[in-house]
Amino acid sequence: MISRPTTDQLIADVCQDLVEAVLPALADETLQVRVAMAETVLRNAAVRAAHEIAWMTDETATLIEYANAVNARIPNVELTAALAAFDEAPQSSLHLADVVETYERASQAFAAALAGAQREGTVELVDTAREMLHDRVSTEKAVMATYAVVGR
Amino acid sequence: MIERLERFLADAEPGRRARVLSYQPISGGYSRISARASVRWADGREETLILRGDPPAGSGVFVSDRDAEWELLRALPNLNSVATAPTRWYDSSGDYLGAKCIVMQSVDATSFQAVLTDADDIGPLSDLFVDTFAAIHGSRLDPLPERMTRPSDWMSYLDGVLATYDQVAESHPSVAPVVRYVTRWAAGHRPPPVPLALVHGDCQPSNVLVSEAQPPIVIDWEFAHIGDPREDLGYYHQIPLLPNVYWSDSERFLARYRAATGMTEDQINPDVVDYFLIIGMATLYAQLVDAADAVANNQHPGILASYLINAISHQHDMFLSICDRQN
Repeated sequence: MISRPTTDQLIADVCQDLVEAVLPALADETLQVRVAMAETVLRNAAVRAAHEIAWMTDETATLIEYANAVNARIPNVELTAALAAFDEAPQSSLHLADVVETYERASQAFAAALAGAQREGTVELVDTAREMLHDRVSTEKAVMATYAVVGR
Repeated sequence: MIERLERFLADAEPGRRARVLSYQPISGGYSRISARASVRWADGREETLILRGDPPAGSGVFVSDRDAEWELLRALPNLNSVATAPTRWYDSSGDYLGAKCIVMQSVDATSFQAVLTDADDIGPLSDLFVDTFAAIHGSRLDPLPERMTRPSDWMSYLDGVLATYDQVAESHPSVAPVVRYVTRWAAGHRPPPVPLALVHGDCQPSNVLVSEAQPPIVIDWEFAHIGDPREDLGYYHQIPLLPNVYWSDSERFLARYRAATGMTEDQINPDVVDYFLIIGMATLYAQLVDAADAVANNQHPGILASYLINAISHQHDMFLSICDRQN
């Protein structure tokens, strides 16, 4: 395949064209807002395209490590089932749809583990999970780096 | 659209013969499709109308019931607690205007948010904003439409809101960890109750119109419901449009609100406002996540759905910060 420009570079190039060539030519205010929103979405997509497989793969490993640790200490039916579902996920594939499927199953297992830790009042497990949630949201914020309210 | 509106007006006002001089979509709303129309009647009178209709089926992010909004808009003047834009007609079937559409009289007033932006001293404007919503929260509930759900008590109402988050977590794995954590935290950190009240549901200065000649006019009632009045304060807390009068001087804002409502400092303080940011966002958060899911399922709800995925992340960041601060 033609590897350069990369996906994020291609998207960034389209964004530049939208902002510099298309947007100034639009007289309709509602269309201006839609194009501004589209440009934001594309910029977010560029960030995601460059990193999302690595981000989800790395986080999946951490989520499952935590879920297994909780399951060893305070097992519950939901968590055990979620871990079994994760075991069936297409973990070795790097195709995006498979990575997402694996990540979502890991997320469900982590959520079940955290709920169990909160229910049992296991402070150190809850604290660890809270740090992991912050890391997760930091990634979300990295994607939304250029987010600004438009059209209000 | 001009011909459609003329046909609608011909049936709504038989004999007056309206000619629509202009029809202009209004940007700025994230929910309904709005437009401004200029009309001349056969007697020579001219007026400006505001049309507020549903987006095409399957598109858009936020879901609300136009029939319910129309009934509420008709009932609000009976409360004598809040001024609203005069309602004129309702295309309840969408047969005329292409979608269910409320037609209101345009009012000669300015967005409160725009006034705030231009103000040198926003203190008095903050007071006016607080007084406006405190009055809404003090409204009698009996004149409100029958269809508005009246929760049996505060605790079960809050349980219902938290159940909304549980349902989101159940059906959306990518947000489940944050949502389940925050929901469980919220269930264990309930503030003291207050009487349930009329809640606007989209409390922000952009939804208030002001002029020197009349009291503030509150618009966009589609998410109004009977709930905890502090939801409106929590909701406004997350509105990122500057200046935000709560952010500018939260002490003044809350002192004014306490004085207007009689709530105690235990019942309303910065921690409680934070808490009700989570509660006040429940419905819209669920709709944001549903809209993102619609994109993922190739249903193409429109660009707003993809654009507002950032708002989901913004909420997650705020939710976690609130839990951290109050742990």
